[in-house]
Amino acid sequence: MKLSVAAAVSHGRVYRRFGLSPRSRLDLLRNLVTALVRHERIETPWARADEMRGYAERLIDYAKRGDKDDRAMRMADFWLTEKDLIHKLFKVLAPRFQPHPGSYTRLLQIPNRDGLDRAKMAVIELKGNPLPPLVRPRRDSDKTLLNQLLKGYRQDAQRAAAP
Amino acid sequence: MAVLVRSPLPRLRALLQRCWGRLERSLWPGVFGGQNPPWGPALAVQGLALVPQGINDAGESSAEAPSLLESIVWMAAPKQRRTIEVNRCRRRHPTKLIEIKRNIDVCPECGNLKQKHVLCGYCYAKVKEETRLIRMEIHRKEGGPFNVPAVETVVLYEGEKPTEKDEGKRIIERARKRPSWFVQN
Repeated sequence: MKLSVAAAVSHGRVYRRFGLSPRSRLDLLRNLVTALVRHERIETPWARADEMRGYAERLIDYAKRGDKDDRAMRMADFWLTEKDLIHKLFKVLAPRFQPHPGSYTRLLQIPNRDGLDRAKMAVIELKGNPLPPLVRPRRDSDKTLLNQLLKGYRQDAQRAAAP
Repeated sequence: MAVLVRSPLPRLRALLQRCWGRLERSLWPGVFGGQNPPWGPALAVQGLALVPQGINDAGESSAEAPSLLESIVWMAAPKQRRTIEVNRCRRRHPTKLIEIKRNIDVCPECGNLKQKHVLCGYCYAKVKEETRLIRMEIHRKEGGPFNVPAVETVVLYEGEKPTEKDEGKRIIERARKRPSWFVQN
């Protein structure tokens, strides 16, 4: 009985194919993770950002273990090609994300790239970065019709309850 | 597959050379008439085609029905002209038309059009430009490559003082008024 088969169909495969080979795919993603840790916000094709997101968040989970942990240090050593970023990861990012249980990155889609390929682009950033925010949280305005009606209803209820 | 024969045995090499010589002589008997080495650049001579049958059979084949040899050049071709009505049905079928997008909205900040699930292009360009200038300041402060400090960073604009929250952080100064969309926290 065959337990596993390398099918020509890719049903259920979760990892995308990038680059020239699986090793090249890892190198590509590694470069992106390094860039994200360095610049805290990068703009790249959506597929790459989506693929890289999982690796970046797991790296931060490893970093939260502390730099005395051997596995964490080896992971950081592999994934960050620029070695001054290892210090930043353990001393800046790990304390920053210590209170959060997960989801340390934000992935937002951008208008398609201007070149000939019109690729679907995304910007991925670490939460809590010092750069200007990409999306302003919109407070619901008081001037909308529904809110004005609700305000009137609340005032009527108060006037009826007061005497 | 190339066979690397380093000929460790000189007898083996001599045997192979003799075999190869015999093969050559048997295949090309005329060429090998006493010349060593036989191969060199020579004039190309057009070899004989198959024995020409046409001289004898020219009269016969024109009278015959198209033989099997000629039927392999039958190819598919349309029999009738497609009318414009049929053409229109095919060209204007809903699956062939471009889908209309119903997810376009107005950005509440700047009023440009944006897709609902995508960031506004104008607002993003604004933020991108400001990030570029901040990064230039960072680069100037760091001086060289691979000098990332192990502390947080905070960006301050003209006339702003670091608060007690920005205690151990690296301060990046931008020489302009704080933009309204960059809220200090």
